[in-house]
Amino acid sequence: MRRALPSIFSVLAALLISFIAAALTLGDLGQAGNAYLAMLQGAIGDWPRFFETGNPATVLRPIGEAGTKAALLTLTGLSVAVAFRVGLFNIGAQGQLIVGALGAAFIGAHLQLPSALHVTLALLFAALLGCAWALVATALKLWRGVHEVISTIMLNWVAVSLVENWLVVGPLRATASGTNSLSGTAQIHATAQLPRVVADYSRLNLGFFLAVALAVLITVWMQRTRAGYEARAVGLAPKAAEAAGVNVGRRLFEAMAVSGALAGLAGGILILGTELKYPATLASPYGFDGIAIALIGQSHPLGALGTALVFGALRAGGTHMQLFGVHKSFPELIQGLALLLVAARLFWERLLAPKGAR
Amino acid sequence: MNVLYGLYHPDSGEIAFDGAPVRIRTPQDAIARGVGMVHQHFTLVPNLTVAENVVLGDEPTRLGLLDLDAAVRTVDETCKRLGFTLDARARVDRLTVGSQQKVEIVKALRRGAKTIILDEPTAVLTPQETEDLFRITKQLSDGGAAVVLITHKLRDVLAFATRIAVMRRGKKVAEVKPEETSEVQLAEQMVGGTEPGPLTPSLSPPRGEGAPFLMLENVTAPGLHDVTLDVRAGEILGIAGVDGNGQRELAEVVTGLRPLTKGAVKLGETSWPHLTPAQARAAGVAHIPEDRLHRALVSDMSVEENAALGRQHLPPFARGPFIDFEGRRARTAALLEANDVRPRDPLARAGSLSGGNQQKLVVGRELDTNPKLLVVVQPTRGLDIAAVNAVRARLREQARAGCAVLLVSLDLEEVLALADRVVVMFEGRLNGTFARGDCDERELGRRMLGAQA
Amino acid sequence: MLEILDALVNSTLEAAPALVFAALGAVLSERAGVVNVGVEGMMRAGAFVAAVAALAMPTPAGVLLGMAAGGALAALHAWLCIRWRADQVVSGMAINLVMLALGTFVLEARFSPNGTPSITQLDRYLPGVPFIGGLTALTLLAIVAPFALHAVIQRTRFGLRLRAAGEKPQAVAAMGVSVSRLRFLAVVCGGTLAGLGGAALSVATLDRFEHHMPAGLGFMAVAAMVFGRWTPLGAAGAAVFFSFGNALRIGLTSSAPGVLEVVPQGFLLALPYLLTLVLLAAQKKGAGRAPAALGTPYDPELR
Repeated sequence: MRRALPSIFSVLAALLISFIAAALTLGDLGQAGNAYLAMLQGAIGDWPRFFETGNPATVLRPIGEAGTKAALLTLTGLSVAVAFRVGLFNIGAQGQLIVGALGAAFIGAHLQLPSALHVTLALLFAALLGCAWALVATALKLWRGVHEVISTIMLNWVAVSLVENWLVVGPLRATASGTNSLSGTAQIHATAQLPRVVADYSRLNLGFFLAVALAVLITVWMQRTRAGYEARAVGLAPKAAEAAGVNVGRRLFEAMAVSGALAGLAGGILILGTELKYPATLASPYGFDGIAIALIGQSHPLGALGTALVFGALRAGGTHMQLFGVHKSFPELIQGLALLLVAARLFWERLLAPKGAR
Repeated sequence: MNVLYGLYHPDSGEIAFDGAPVRIRTPQDAIARGVGMVHQHFTLVPNLTVAENVVLGDEPTRLGLLDLDAAVRTVDETCKRLGFTLDARARVDRLTVGSQQKVEIVKALRRGAKTIILDEPTAVLTPQETEDLFRITKQLSDGGAAVVLITHKLRDVLAFATRIAVMRRGKKVAEVKPEETSEVQLAEQMVGGTEPGPLTPSLSPPRGEGAPFLMLENVTAPGLHDVTLDVRAGEILGIAGVDGNGQRELAEVVTGLRPLTKGAVKLGETSWPHLTPAQARAAGVAHIPEDRLHRALVSDMSVEENAALGRQHLPPFARGPFIDFEGRRARTAALLEANDVRPRDPLARAGSLSGGNQQKLVVGRELDTNPKLLVVVQPTRGLDIAAVNAVRARLREQARAGCAVLLVSLDLEEVLALADRVVVMFEGRLNGTFARGDCDERELGRRMLGAQA
Repeated sequence: MLEILDALVNSTLEAAPALVFAALGAVLSERAGVVNVGVEGMMRAGAFVAAVAALAMPTPAGVLLGMAAGGALAALHAWLCIRWRADQVVSGMAINLVMLALGTFVLEARFSPNGTPSITQLDRYLPGVPFIGGLTALTLLAIVAPFALHAVIQRTRFGLRLRAAGEKPQAVAAMGVSVSRLRFLAVVCGGTLAGLGGAALSVATLDRFEHHMPAGLGFMAVAAMVFGRWTPLGAAGAAVFFSFGNALRIGLTSSAPGVLEVVPQGFLLALPYLLTLVLLAAQKKGAGRAPAALGTPYDPELR
């Protein structure tokens, strides 16, 4: 638990610092306070109003929004964290998410299957595409020594260009039909939609629980299996791992495959749960956020989950801040600040080192 | 000496020059006082030239730009004064270890050093290069400089010092003149008892009657050419050579860390043209590498997790695909106890252990696998006298128990102290095989420098 | 035919300075031993600050402020990496992410999502001259800078110490020179160059700060550095080559509209990024080694 402290402190410090910044920008402490309160209510619900009116929507909708966002952040956070653990910087989660999203949109719109099968197939396809996209960068690294920071980022841009400037406006473009809007791909069939959990009150869907389950599974894999142990060794000391007989290439490959699949899955859940088709442009940078989430969570799957929950909530609340003059992308700033703070590793080591040891 | 050079700070006491007390806080202070240090691990920038390395930090300039010609001239002058030659425009990484050491000395002198500290300078030199070095130090001392030699090689101390100070556990325990003492006496004073000093070679007769376990026949790999040798059960084969002549590559080939381009590694009955580390381990090869921190241990993992390295897929460390936590804990505790690793904490971070304890952990772990072949590279690097003795004793024990041991060491004395047979390597090829008793240090030195039979 | 060539050359020279400056900045930092993937964020900062400052003051002054912005971010990166031994890639990415968020935030809060208002671009010289006509002072600077940096690295005291610090910091420290100060200076200067690159984008290539700037150009600059084997001349050459790829894409779509019938726009947009990948993959493995001490924080107690 002690190892979670740097993350927790960083987030709290970031919240504090950005509060001060907001107060300074607005010039009014009270207004900043109100803005923050609005964000909180938008994140975990307007409880005072709930107790007044008894309307579940006041609480469930915000929590649902938070959960929806948290699910996506968890998956991309896990994606980046898994890669980090094995020593690879997968900055390509955004590109992997995009191809995964497109894959899910395709299966969702062009096939007709019983619901459980349809959803599963679409999600698997999304994961598969994300996995394949990540493996391009992996192959480049393992066989040509191309640094994965550059290759994954280039592949992000390639993905955006190919998907949004070709496939979605070309071969996979939605055909005019009735009152459906024409941009993006065809709407997915109802059978492909991710079931909503408290359907009347919020958009929270099955994706959330899937994300949490995966976080737990990955924790077990990393801490309790031999494969996870070998992967961690590769990330911490590749030469020692090699000398110990670990098949380093295989572990790297596996980790990146899982990483890409997770990001692709996030894309699938985004489409099947929220967007219901691939829109003209997928503006949400969940892939990049995943990097921040993973790092703030110190590359631990449960750390990523926790961080994702916090920031998913903050993001859900962000839209409510506009009433008080704070732009809705404020939570991203908090996220960035927290990331910078966590990065000062030695600072935390010094602060938290047991007294006398050093 | 690190205190004298400003790298560490004293808690108490006084440093004085010519009777006047001074404070030395940084290497810059030390340099200003005329103290120069040649470290055990050279502080030379490999891809810069000799001249560039020598003037780094105090570069001559002309019109604001570097004046490398002036630097070259300075180097040439100093070399001439000391009686050797160096190509001042050559890249440092192309020089031999002996030449690099000379660069370090020139570096120290250029800063006007009147006190020159040499830290374990002969550990990696051939006998011929050692003689060369001491000729240079005599030049220096004749010229009025003070030379401080830090070494554990008693023979060198007696041959070339005018005064000897013996240190033990951070205190000076004796100060004598060479003519008033002997190797045995010095050894006693260093260790504080009459246990055999680290340099007493084993007196048992040469071993090696067992069947060969490791066989290499015309093996070629990057850095190795046509190597043919074998190591028999129960013998210690020592690989001697100047640093960078293929010894490390040999160890890597035998442990599966370096691919072969020709030939195969034969372990026992099986021949492996493309050996992997996992296959080597399964065949009974254990490896104690030179670079503990990066090759043998994962610093950031616990002692317990490190104990599993190499056998992480086998019981008692694993049960199927899962880690067997109890089994691992128990085995680790036993290992720590049996090898006297301190602290006895399976959860301590491996990187927090001292060098000696880390090595004990690594040695204990590798020997626990009951290997048929033990490959050891530079086993006593950076260890104190007690640890050195302990490691060497373990190696002898293993051989006596029937294990084949391949020992690579850059320290010729260590090879001679431990090996039953010695093979010399030069430029990736073998350059002579000698049995114990047939070994003349000077002859070995010649072979190490490339001379033919 | 000549017109197409003229357009291509002109286009390349338009786009190149930003990439060249950023690549040089990356080289400076990494030769000293500090990984800098934060170039993207530093460019973004430079682009934004220059474009906004130029609304209220003469454009060249805006450029200077943009450089300062890049330098300030670099100082943060250097502080985190040198003083607090942060993981250098993490620190760089953190800066990128923060600038991504901050840029979008301030843009949308104060201006419009489409970009900042138009500003007067830098003066252009020699209009009408074929090939090299219509260039700004920055283009000239971009031609001179690689050679200047090469001279600094190879021929000055600072350059020698810089190279030593990137290969073997222990050697530098043993001679009494401060590795930290050296690296700090290198990183900040590098960031200033990156800021200049960003400013070039918003003030010369375009006339405003746009939502996506620099759209991956910062990473391309890092790729150019790798491809150019961490030397100023090599990196600049690679940067020009990548710019050419970009120009080719723009040139194709504008001068040969028929192309769009056959090749979907998506492919053309992806071209520069694909080109970067292909070039990096085609490099001989292990060619042009990075500075040996790159990425390892200097710990005076480790020897």
